[in-house]
Order: sequence, then C-alpha cells, then structure tokens
Amino acid sequence: MWKDIGGREAGQIRPNSFANRVKSHRLSTLQLSNYKDIVSPHKGSINSLQVDLTEERYLLSGASDSSVAVYDVQRATDYEGGGHIAKHRSVFVVDKQHEHGHKYAISSAIWYPVDTGLFVTGSYDHYVKVWDTNCTRVVMNFKMPGKVYRTAMSPLAASHMLIAAGTEDVQVRLCDIASGAISQTLSGHRDGIMTVEWSTSSEWILVTGGCDGAIRFWDIRRAGCFRVLDQSQSQLGRRPPLLKRKRPGYKFVRNGPLVASMMVSISKSLSAGQNSSVKPRAPQKRSANGNGVRQSSVGRIPAKGSVRQRLHPGMLSSQDRATAHYGAVTGLKVTEDGMYLLSAGSDSRIRLWDVESGRNTLVNFETVRLQTSKPIQLATTQDPAVVFVPCMTAVKAFDIWSGKTCLTFRGHYEHVNCCCFSSQDQELYTGGNDRQILVWCPSRLISDGVDAGPMQDQDNWSD
Amino acid sequence: MKNDTNSDSSKPKKRRRDEEIEAESSSSDQENLTFSDTLVALRIMRAQFPHIDKVSIRPFILQSQLYSSVNDRTQVDRELESLRRERVLRVFKLNTGQDDHAIMFLDDYLNQIECVVKRMEEKKQVNLEVFEWFQTHVLDSKLEPSVGHEELCSLLSIVGKVKDEHISLLINAGILTRQLIDPDMYWFAIPNIGSVLKGLSQGRKEIISFLNRRKYKEMMLALLEKKHLRFSPLDMRFHLRDLIGSGHLKTIHTPTGLVVQISKD
Repeated sequence: MWKDIGGREAGQIRPNSFANRVKSHRLSTLQLSNYKDIVSPHKGSINSLQVDLTEERYLLSGASDSSVAVYDVQRATDYEGGGHIAKHRSVFVVDKQHEHGHKYAISSAIWYPVDTGLFVTGSYDHYVKVWDTNCTRVVMNFKMPGKVYRTAMSPLAASHMLIAAGTEDVQVRLCDIASGAISQTLSGHRDGIMTVEWSTSSEWILVTGGCDGAIRFWDIRRAGCFRVLDQSQSQLGRRPPLLKRKRPGYKFVRNGPLVASMMVSISKSLSAGQNSSVKPRAPQKRSANGNGVRQSSVGRIPAKGSVRQRLHPGMLSSQDRATAHYGAVTGLKVTEDGMYLLSAGSDSRIRLWDVESGRNTLVNFETVRLQTSKPIQLATTQDPAVVFVPCMTAVKAFDIWSGKTCLTFRGHYEHVNCCCFSSQDQELYTGGNDRQILVWCPSRLISDGVDAGPMQDQDNWSD
Repeated sequence: MKNDTNSDSSKPKKRRRDEEIEAESSSSDQENLTFSDTLVALRIMRAQFPHIDKVSIRPFILQSQLYSSVNDRTQVDRELESLRRERVLRVFKLNTGQDDHAIMFLDDYLNQIECVVKRMEEKKQVNLEVFEWFQTHVLDSKLEPSVGHEELCSLLSIVGKVKDEHISLLINAGILTRQLIDPDMYWFAIPNIGSVLKGLSQGRKEIISFLNRRKYKEMMLALLEKKHLRFSPLDMRFHLRDLIGSGHLKTIHTPTGLVVQISKD
C-alpha cells in the first residue's frame, strides 16, 4: 500500500491504475460492517434498494409493507457504542397511512436519475407512483393492468423521461413523466415481465426479461424488439470471433413461418448496427415456399395462425421463441461500460451475454440455488470485475470472467432480495426478507478514529 | 483403449498418451479424482460407467459429474461447446430436476439408435425409414438439445413425405420427447433411458436422506463409497460425482482424508 503511494508520488503509477488498485484491495476485504449500521423502519421484507446516482449519498428502500424509506449513508444520525458505531436512521418514511401511499407490497423503488428530487415506486397494487422527495407527496400516478414487478429509468436519458414498467401483463409499458400518460407499449413477450433494465450505452435501448425465459432488446424508437437472446447461441470467450455466415434457410425460428427465419438469419448475421437495413421484401418472396412446407407437414398449425396474416416486419420477432433461461428470468444487470449483460434465471443459472454479438459467453457461475418467485437485484462493480448475487440467504461475489466465487457474505437470517454496490465508497448494501438492511464495508484499520489513550493498558480479558 | 474415431485430427494420439498418464496418476490418488481436460474426464468416466443388467444402455455422463471432476467450470462449458460443434458428442436435456444435462458420445448414441431400430424391426413395424432420415438430416444439422415442430418436419421432408405416424414412431422409440417447458418443442432424448433416470433420482434421494439422518450430516468418502445403493442400478461413485458437481454435497479435506458433507444453502 505504501509502496503504491510512493510509486504514485514518483509518477510510476498512473492515477487511474492507482485508484483501481486501492479499490480492488478494499473490495477484497469486504465484511459485515462493525462501525456502520442502517436502522430499517420497515415491517416487511425489503424488495428494492438503490443508492442515488448523482452523489451516492441517499439510499432508497422499498418494502413489502408498502413503506418506502430514505437513508443518508454518508452522515450518521447518531452514534452508539462510545462513538464507534454510526447509526443511520431514515431521513423519512412513507407508509400505508400516507393518503396516497401504496396499498400492497412495493416491489421497486428507484430514484429519478437526474437528481434526488423525485423518486418512482412500483407496487403490487397495480400502480406506479412518482413522488416529490422534499414534500413527500405523490406527483403522478400510472395505473397498470397487473402487479408491477420492476420499474426502471434510463440513467443516460437526455431527451426522454420514460419509466419502463414490467408487470404481470405481457406488455412492457413506458410511462412518460412529462405528459403524465403511458406513452408506449412494447409487445413480444409471452408471459409476465419480471425485470426491466435500460442500457448503459444508449438512452433508447431497453432490455427486458420475462417469465417465459426470454430476454429481449428493444429500441423504443422502433416497433418490436430487435434481438432475442438465445442460450444456445454461444461464443467462447470475451471477444466474439467473426460471426460465421449461417447457411441460408437452415436457421429456423421455432414455430414461425420460414419468412421470419430468413429475416432473423439475415439480421443475425449482419452486425448489430445494421439491423435496420433488413429489407421488407423478403417476406413476400419467401411466402410461397413457406406455404409449401406447411402442406406437407403434420396437421398441426402454429397456434397463432400467423401464416395467414402478414405481420409488420418489426413484429416478426414475436415469433421468435428462443429462451435465455430454462425458467423465468429473475434478474438482469447491464455492466456500466454497456458491453455485457448478466442475467439470473429461476433455473439457478447466471449467464453473461456479450451485448454486441448477442451471444452467451458460457461463463459458468457456481450457483446452487437462486430464489425463483421474486425478482432479485444484482450489483456489479464499476470496471466490471465482480458481480454480487443474492443466493438464498447469502450474497455471493463472483469474478465476472471466470465465474469463481470470490467472497460469500452470510449475515441475513432469511432470503436476500436485493443488493446495491456503491462504487464510490466500496460498500455493499443488502436487503432481505428478514426486514434488515446490512452494510458490508472494507475492514477499517483499528487505529482509525479510536481513542487510543485509556485503552492502551488493557488486554483482551479486561472489561 | 476405446475407439478413437471421434475426432479425426491428430489429437487422439496425444490425448491417448495424456489419458494414460492421467489414468495412472488419478488411480493412484484414489480420492482426488480431478482431471485437467474435459475430453479426458469424459473418456475416463465413460469407461467407468456401471454395467446395468436389465437395460442395454450405452454409457452417458451427466454434466454435473464433469463439474466435479474438472476444476474450472467455465473451461468445461467452453470445451463442451466446441466438442459439440465438432460433432464429437451430443448434449441432452433431462427432465430429472433443474438443469440436468446428459452427454453421450455420438457413436454411442448412434449405436443406441441402431439397437432400438433392430428391436422395432423384429416387431415388424412399418415406416422405419424415418430413423434413417432422422440420422442423416436432423442429427447432423441440429446440434442443440431441442428442435421445433416446424423445423423437424421441414428437415425430415427433405427426403420424402413426412406424416404424423413418422413422428409418433420417433416418440415411441424414445428418441424425441416433449417437456413441460414448451408445448411445441421436441427434445432429443436417449432411448431406453427411462428406468435409469428413475434410478438416478431415487439414488440421489437415498444418499441425501442417508447423510441427513447422520448426526453431523457428513461421512468419510472412503466409507461412503463402499456403501451399496438399494434403489439405484448406478453405482455410488456415479451418484457422488453428480451430487458434488451440482452442489448438493461438498467435500472437505481433513487430515484423515476427504469428508463428504451436505452443503447448507
């Protein structure tokens, strides 16, 4: 450590690499904090945690008893234990008694990405509410057709203020704060949508994971999704090899007409940026061939009878039934550099996808069991080196590239639902069904902040 | 040794030498069964597949067994993927529990299909040409564990007219099955494997319940290996590798040897 500082002083180590070394060293010593504690006023399991994106100072938590609380994680409200333990109580709490509060469990609470003046909550009572933080009032209300599982706002958005809401309904809805209405619906999933995330590289790209096991990429400026991730499409390693041109006509979309397959194979063999250039004329050319095959087949007709109607070219992706997991997709996280996507599924697998090529990188994360009924929140460090995953009652930290477990955090008494990593302070906040929010900090040197005077003469057995 | 017609590069010779060295080092170290290479692990486990009396089944390996035998799981996944693409082996999704996959070498699988076809010929079944069509067209081009209904029909109809009876024949033979995940998708399966799979799940339950009943939920590996399973035709070593690889059991190194314990969480 001192050697590194000397090296930095002499100019041998660059500032970024010095900062990264310190950060990764602190990360490797993460443990249950013995000097910091967050006092949670919730009486139900904690479903969502988020630290605000601007200052990383305020932590927002949403719980199953319809309560939302905000804590200041940098300034303690009071001290205990002779001044050694900092207690962080909530700055304010909103619960069922609030005149416009939620009635059932809150599944997702997120900050407005630009500043902490607003926050958005989504709940099982079918509402998405936008709150003003300073007055603690509901500013806007959006009614959804089903239980809201996740809400998300884009951290990069400069030209829109859309809240993406994933519900039990098969359509993703985009709620606009500027106009107060639901501005768009995205259809393509075949079952409810458990997780929604915005891309960290483009303000227009949304990634959603559904209970049908599919992960879809949507560009909200166009109709339909432009990519569906398929777990059997894989690449070995980080950098994708040159995409081999598939034999035309042999890559079929399951149960879709041959029409869709040609388009999908064309679009998959081109690079991602050129997806918009797929010609709409391909369907008409191939339709004769498609019908011919259908007559010779067994008397089973595809469920939607889609051969008869001509679909909009953007909607053909709804025929694509590729799955990313053998169960529901319960957690999604896009890494901060926008290049990789992590997905957790109810088949207890975590997969790492290369966003640009849309392929499974086949990194195997050693998970035994993951929670299947509730969505879980994953967290990654900034230079994506470590991913934190809530696995039942423990939180495990995996190395992203090799999939090995680096650290295991056992402290909760019941299942852990959400975790949030603050990269500024290298602290991990986890919340679970045992109504506690635990803080995991790098271990502090004993001499920091301890009054060394009267303690020096004592040894371990003294009172 | 086993027939090495799987890979047609010069690799078999090098691998055979590696294999012998590995076999010696691993047999001397009877408890620590870890291998460096996935293909080596697959071959050795194939050779160690237990002989089952009533069912004629070619050796298969479970994916969880590979995870317990090779240290790096990501390497296992990637090597399996490249072996699958080279058509050395096939991966099948089983319906016993979460995420269970069985791996079988391609010629073993083709032999298994031959046995089934012969038995059907003896029973004077008709429409047996569908098996040939299946082998030449479907197996060659579909390397994934599942195939959609439309796709299957179009691949089979390259040769001749495909009818309902053909597909029913494939399902009756046990080569294709349906699973609860998707009603319109067929999954490739190993024929005649039903009783073995039942034995697999019963054997797993037996071992887990046996260890759960013990005071500290653990036992020395050397003693555990000698136990005989009542409900499963597969041997103890097969089950232990599978359970350790899937994470239900974990091994701890102690001064007196390896101890197998039920893993919490």
